[in-house]
Amino acid sequence: MSDVTVAAKRQGPSWLILPGIVWMALFMVVPIAMICYVSFWTQTTFNISSTPTLASWKQFFSSDTYTGALWTTVRIWLIVLATTFIIGYPTALFVGLFVKSKTLSTVLLVVCVIPFWTSFLIRVLAWRPMLGKEGAINIILLKLHIISQPIEVLLFTELSVIIGMSQIYCVFMVGPIAFMLGRIDRNIIEAARDLGAGFGRIFWKIIFPLSLPGVVVGAIFVSVMVLGEFATSGALSGRKVNLLGNIIVTQVGSLKWAMASVTGVILTVFMGMVIAGFLRIVDLKQEL
Amino acid sequence: MTTQTAIFRIDSVTKSYGGVKALDAVTLEAGVNEYLSLLGPSGSGKTTLLRVIAGFEVPDSGRVFFQGRDITNLPAHERGIGFVFQNFALFPHLTVRQNIAFGMANGAVLVSSEETAHRTQTIIDMVGLTGMEDRGVDQISGGQRQRVALARTLVMQPKLVLLDEPLGALDANLRGRMRNELRAIRERMGVTFLHVTGSETEALAMGDSVVVLDRGRIIQRGAPDDVYSTPASPDVAHFLNRFNLFEGTLSGGTFTGPFGSVVAAKVTRAPRDVYAIRYDRLRVSPLSASATGPALKATYIANEYLGSSVMNFFETADGKVVEVEHHLSLGAPETFEPRQDYLLTWAPEQAIVFGREGK
Repeated sequence: MSDVTVAAKRQGPSWLILPGIVWMALFMVVPIAMICYVSFWTQTTFNISSTPTLASWKQFFSSDTYTGALWTTVRIWLIVLATTFIIGYPTALFVGLFVKSKTLSTVLLVVCVIPFWTSFLIRVLAWRPMLGKEGAINIILLKLHIISQPIEVLLFTELSVIIGMSQIYCVFMVGPIAFMLGRIDRNIIEAARDLGAGFGRIFWKIIFPLSLPGVVVGAIFVSVMVLGEFATSGALSGRKVNLLGNIIVTQVGSLKWAMASVTGVILTVFMGMVIAGFLRIVDLKQEL
Repeated sequence: MTTQTAIFRIDSVTKSYGGVKALDAVTLEAGVNEYLSLLGPSGSGKTTLLRVIAGFEVPDSGRVFFQGRDITNLPAHERGIGFVFQNFALFPHLTVRQNIAFGMANGAVLVSSEETAHRTQTIIDMVGLTGMEDRGVDQISGGQRQRVALARTLVMQPKLVLLDEPLGALDANLRGRMRNELRAIRERMGVTFLHVTGSETEALAMGDSVVVLDRGRIIQRGAPDDVYSTPASPDVAHFLNRFNLFEGTLSGGTFTGPFGSVVAAKVTRAPRDVYAIRYDRLRVSPLSASATGPALKATYIANEYLGSSVMNFFETADGKVVEVEHHLSLGAPETFEPRQDYLLTWAPEQAIVFGREGK
């Protein structure tokens, strides 16, 4: 091999990263910098100028509408995170660990993904005829004489947003956890049994710690998607539940770029903190 | 061996997977403080046998007894039988010390934390892991992992330890060292070892007695030298990997094979007629030599240097490969010409003859 080809081989990997850098710069670094910059612009009713001002930031933190949206976002995020985990972990445990056949566990995971073959909007809107005052759930409960009056709290409330989001994002929790559980060497579990540990002990001391990277990845997926949500809350709450995402949509819609940018910066910073927090729990570099 | 001194006994245990019998009415027992090695080819059911004793598999029929108690339906974690896995199955997220202490900290029998610490340290010193206590199990070598696996099992003070090809994942050098250590540790602890292996040398070297398993059945059990010198069947001779086996017909005390007819002084009863000669019992002469005993014409192919001996490979007229071992302690090996014909001879009384005529 000549010196030239050796040098070319060494050079190879470093220029391969170039498209990635260009992509990230164009579509991540520049937009984020732009949003930060615009958030300090001066906004008047029909105009926007680049004169720096803190007005939009002050307005955000002094208005109940905006801070309220921030707390609603945090609350719904935590509740959805908890429900997807509570529903998702046992499902993943079944699919990833208790189903012995690899084929069957793959089939079950695909079944979890089937709802994604329909469009996002249809999946969200399908909850309306389910949860409505004269929806499927109320009709069934009335027919079974479990209730005498239709439950009205099911639709166009925070509850319906939580139900909708939990259903849509649950699979993002199941997938990574099932993957981690599937990678656990069955001999390890048998070894723990052989050393005298019952199922509860094995779960808490072996299975759960080994699945934790999957939980963290799943939680990051769910968090990123829920925190940026606006469609589910828009479609299922009848505009009663306003998340930061909804604020951005309305502000952009009324050409209030500065306010939309402030909200965007706050949302991005919060997401960054959430992800950093999750990554502190496990060292993903080691696990994946 | 009586039931009183037997530490465990399995009684006509049968286990099938999808119609295939992995274990076919196997009965086996082992005494207190005994080293039993279980030899069999892959698929012979040896791992299944261990898993049934450990409680990871439930037998289709038959009973399993341990210390005089019927444990057939007892869950694995209540049996108190140690199991060392081929891949060691260490807990990857725990340190060496935490791995070893796991059974005492989480087991069915509660052990105080002082005693746990004491016993853990004692066993760590015993298996030679001092100074490694706080390392992760992915930060230690293969041999050290083997020691952790062993220590983790032995620290529970089981009366019976099942080892599933425990040396299979180690390199040859380490395997030799661990063999000695395994034996020494067992003698010090006074426990019964049931060691499964696919290696005939390991089985012969390690066990007080050797059990040969084939297609879910025990086909021979005995002291290593007995099994080695008097295999009970052509299959055992085959697994020992030390015999040239010739098919033929035995009739009226005379065996007729590719080497002509030879009178068989003693015949071991077997379902088929087979003539077995150990690799190191064959002698090579030039084709012109006159043979007093049985002789077989064969073409020299190649040899293999094994350190203490040389293995010469010959091919007979019907395409069968015959191996001739020459121990170097008996002098320098002869050199043979490739593709040349030679005469292989042996003393007929050193052959083992199997046949339907046997007693």
